[in-house]
Amino acid sequence: MAATKKDIKKSETSSLHALTKAALLLPGLLSGPVHAAEGDEVEFQYGHYQEGNRSVYGMAADPNTGNFNMMGLPTGIKPITVDSIHGSAKTSITNRLKFAFNYLQDTWGGATPIASAPAAFFSVQPKLDAATGTTVVGASPFLQPNRNYWISGRALVDAKGNPLMANMAPDYSSLVFQQNNQVTDILVSASPEVRHQGDVKFAYEFDQATLNMGGGISSERDYESRFGNIGGLWNFNQKRTTVNLGLSYTNSDTSAVLAHDSFSYIDSSYYQNNGQISSKPSQGGANILQGNRQDWGSTLGLSQVINKDALVSADISYTRSTGYLANPYKAVSVLFVDPSVNDPNSPNYIALPEGAQAGYVYSLSERRPELRNQWGLGGRYVQFISPLDAALHFDYHYSTDDWAIQSHAFESDWVQPLGNNWTVTPRVRYYSQSAANFYTPWLITQQAYTNTVYGPDGITTTSYDRSKLPSSFSSDGRLAAFGTLSGGLIVSKKFAKGLTIETGVEYYTHKASLGMSGDNSNTFNNFDSWNVNAALKLNLDSLSLHPGANTTHAGHDHQDHAVHAPAGVMYDHMLPKAGDFMVGYRYMWGSQSGDTLQGTHAVPDSTLVGNGCGPNPCYIRTASMSMNMHMLDLMYAPTDWLTLMLMPQFVSMNMTMNALDGAPDSSEQEMISHHVQSGHQTGGVGDVGMYGLFKLFDNGMHHIHFTAGFSAPTGNVGLQLNTNHGITGGYIDYGMQLGSGTWDFKPSLTYTGKWQQFSWGAQSSGTVRMQNQNRSGYALGDLYQATAWGSYSVTNWLSGSIRGLYTSQEAINGQYNGLINQYGPADYTNNYGGKYWDVGFGMSAMVPSGDFAGNRVSVEWLQPVQDNVNGYQLQRDGTLSATWGLAF
Amino acid sequence: MRVTLKLSNLYLVILAGFTLNLYGCVNVEPWERGTLAKSQMALDVYPLQSSIRAHNYNSRETGASTAAGQGGGCGCN
Repeated sequence: MAATKKDIKKSETSSLHALTKAALLLPGLLSGPVHAAEGDEVEFQYGHYQEGNRSVYGMAADPNTGNFNMMGLPTGIKPITVDSIHGSAKTSITNRLKFAFNYLQDTWGGATPIASAPAAFFSVQPKLDAATGTTVVGASPFLQPNRNYWISGRALVDAKGNPLMANMAPDYSSLVFQQNNQVTDILVSASPEVRHQGDVKFAYEFDQATLNMGGGISSERDYESRFGNIGGLWNFNQKRTTVNLGLSYTNSDTSAVLAHDSFSYIDSSYYQNNGQISSKPSQGGANILQGNRQDWGSTLGLSQVINKDALVSADISYTRSTGYLANPYKAVSVLFVDPSVNDPNSPNYIALPEGAQAGYVYSLSERRPELRNQWGLGGRYVQFISPLDAALHFDYHYSTDDWAIQSHAFESDWVQPLGNNWTVTPRVRYYSQSAANFYTPWLITQQAYTNTVYGPDGITTTSYDRSKLPSSFSSDGRLAAFGTLSGGLIVSKKFAKGLTIETGVEYYTHKASLGMSGDNSNTFNNFDSWNVNAALKLNLDSLSLHPGANTTHAGHDHQDHAVHAPAGVMYDHMLPKAGDFMVGYRYMWGSQSGDTLQGTHAVPDSTLVGNGCGPNPCYIRTASMSMNMHMLDLMYAPTDWLTLMLMPQFVSMNMTMNALDGAPDSSEQEMISHHVQSGHQTGGVGDVGMYGLFKLFDNGMHHIHFTAGFSAPTGNVGLQLNTNHGITGGYIDYGMQLGSGTWDFKPSLTYTGKWQQFSWGAQSSGTVRMQNQNRSGYALGDLYQATAWGSYSVTNWLSGSIRGLYTSQEAINGQYNGLINQYGPADYTNNYGGKYWDVGFGMSAMVPSGDFAGNRVSVEWLQPVQDNVNGYQLQRDGTLSATWGLAF
Repeated sequence: MRVTLKLSNLYLVILAGFTLNLYGCVNVEPWERGTLAKSQMALDVYPLQSSIRAHNYNSRETGASTAAGQGGGCGCN
């Protein structure tokens, strides 16, 4: 940019000269104030979101007096964390037609609020910890009636509806009542879940306009969303003014498994009567809440150059949402004031203060209006700060809807370029919203939950009258009034050769007291969070691989130098010479399904029940298991004989289970059914590999290199299932953890050769666990692999390969140092590892010239030939590997 | 609906005012746009950072975005 600045200064002396220069050097400026896509680009991003602990409150009994005190309770459950990856590619199909592809994957787990209620309604019995002599209070308040024994488990409010705490007077002569308005969240922890999203966008660029069209799909276990959008951008007024218009449509289906656990505590009868809840035999008879929503969105925007140092943009938007807009997991605590309980003639009558009312608390599935119209108005101002070469950005966004939520968001960024292509951007944001008109932390209704009438025809029980409740109610904290303040920093560094690394960090705090509306009904819901991310951007245009531009560039010798092995072989090639870089992406999908094997042979359920689980019976078996692995392959050659390689991994896994025929009854039958109904999902960051590849021999035809490396235990090995049916979930089975948990040594020796259209190779590799156990108490078995392949180039850009692979892996050493519910073979360590033969069929294509010269894409399918498993394991279907790489 | 109609009128007034104001803008010739072409002057300097933050805000706030059609999932938790 420094050179550019000089050129612009010259322009003041000769405008014609400058115009020519600018047109040559700054193609971006002719595309108007809104910067157009900067050409072909590949991007990878990893983000981590971590929420802080949320406060919960309840009435804890004093072990000596039996009286209850309001106190903060330890939740004992981990707050929400989200790991996400994002990969995208933008490319020019023709000069005017652009194509962009995005893939996103989020994995989240942890505790989330599902309802809220007055803390005075929750009484918990503390347990005395014998070892330390301290008082430990049980987990978060549950979705169940009050346990205050002084008032027989009822909940009390005064005449004005304020919650009352009830205790016994010191002389035990009477009850003492005290108002306490503290409200608490009710938290529930969830097993890990994964969301995948893929979307595409096409843009066609005219001289003064761009038309774009896109669409995609987002899929998670309980929610699937399909969306499409169309838009246009027009430049006017010699590109000083740009107008853009966008229209979008989203159609989303909710299909939420209502956990047995909460199903019995949450009253979802409204949705049952509405026909939205059905039992799915395919999911073990689980109750599924179904709903569909549609969102239409439109935006009209305008951006305008104000002067040579400032520009401004404004937009107006409208979104119309219809259908099932509620959240299937959120509930509202309702106090059903029971007139019969307040009747002095009733045997359960308690003397209450004047006007006080007693009743029982139930949780009802939340209900939201089936229509929402939302308007938005936004503005953005960008000012160049000449003395510092910096830019100040100021954004404001306002929204209002017919749920009475109004929001204001202010954001300010200072983009400061420093020397050497470093840019530092501090930023601050403030957001405030008012509450939805149906938001309520809890509700009171003047009726009993059920009425029992003793009539001449016998006993009839009628349910409460739903028409006495509001038509919509939600305790979702996101619909409450609150404010948030967040601040962060973005640091980016542009390297030579079109590589940019960017990292961002943000701290975010959410408080009712920060809100502009002065509405403090949601003070109990305060929380804070951190978000960090790192991104790698590769501008393919800047790599100067285009043969027209530079015919002697190294990108061209790839065909001569590198002998690439089939896609499934790692550490197969070195970079040809000092100073070279390579950025690659590797994808692996592995699948298992079908029969359970003992050694090499399938066994029936009866064998598994009796023998699959050591001394215990087996109740379930794994029906299918799939693993997705995304790997980034970063290589750099500091010298000709050494290539360094860094490989971060991101994994996700999905497992389904079947109940075994002939399994005995278990006291944990409901938990076992839950496994079968819900399956398991995990995902997140895997282990990071770091390698050095040393050239031992190379005569142009034969090449040998040795690889020494380590795998760092960055993948989580402590993933646990959520508590269900009062049964602690415990560790998920070993195969679903995200890494090995140990530092692993990974040596390998690779030989490759080539002659005319033929190339071949062989590799021997191992994985040695350098620790006896990881932090969860076990170590995966050591692994040894040997492989050999041959490949033939059909044309100068396409080759096919065939490969043989032998794998031997030991069983797991040690076992979980905490609870694991052992229901199936996968929960036992001796049912891991084995000896395997596979044959692989692969194809590889490299673009020899043109815009994409140097890009290489390979795929390989590994077909199992023989499995000889340790113990009892599910048979393998095969493994698909795909790689993309670009050296520069 | 009464509120939103009123507000949409307000927006039209603002937009109209904004459009009129354009004629008051300094005439910036293409060769004077060197500063505007700098990366720090882009309306969205870090699109990747913006999208990950928008995803976080959307899962915790109800007014942060009115842009449908971009995906983003349930955000139920």
